[in-house]
Amino acid sequence: MAQMKNNIKVLRAEKGMTQEELAEKVNVTRQTIIAIEKNKYIPSLELAYKISLFFKKKIEEVFEYL
Amino acid sequence: MSYKNFKTARLLITFFLAMTVSIAISTENVLLAVSAIGIGMMTMVLIKKNVKAVLVDEMVKNIAGKSALMAYSITVPVLAVLSLVFMFSNLSNEGSYLYNLGMIFSYIALFNMAVYSIAYYYYRKKYGSDEE
Repeated sequence: MAQMKNNIKVLRAEKGMTQEELAEKVNVTRQTIIAIEKNKYIPSLELAYKISLFFKKKIEEVFEYL
Repeated sequence: MSYKNFKTARLLITFFLAMTVSIAISTENVLLAVSAIGIGMMTMVLIKKNVKAVLVDEMVKNIAGKSALMAYSITVPVLAVLSLVFMFSNLSNEGSYLYNLGMIFSYIALFNMAVYSIAYYYYRKKYGSDEE
């Protein structure tokens, strides 16, 4: 099964943001951010782009395909 | 309204519904049950409109889709097998309670399959096509 890794937790910590704040910014629930951070849920391409754009990073800098 | 307040309101509405419907059942008052359910549904719709937080996102929809598929995959075969058992075990006694129950189960299974097929066809048309 395909695995994805991400460094949202690190990027979020750098910005000093909570999961709730990030969830609000990208229009999802806090549970979704938790699941993505734990690599339990692979976000859609749209959400992945939203998160990357929010952190002003390229998508491959935030998400890694293993 | 914040998500926390929404959860409290939802709990209160559930409590109100449970109490009212149980009273309606014990007093055999259908009107009370129907009006309580109607009021509960209307209140939920109004509350949901005022919630600022995101309640449904792509993960929730994803989970709901998978759950719906699993529910369908379990319900339809179970209903179909039960209907066959009830009908074939009562073939000599057509019109009996169990035979009719089997008929009802088979129609429910068929109805489920029809709804699934229509929904599947609709979403296949919406998201995918053979055209290049």
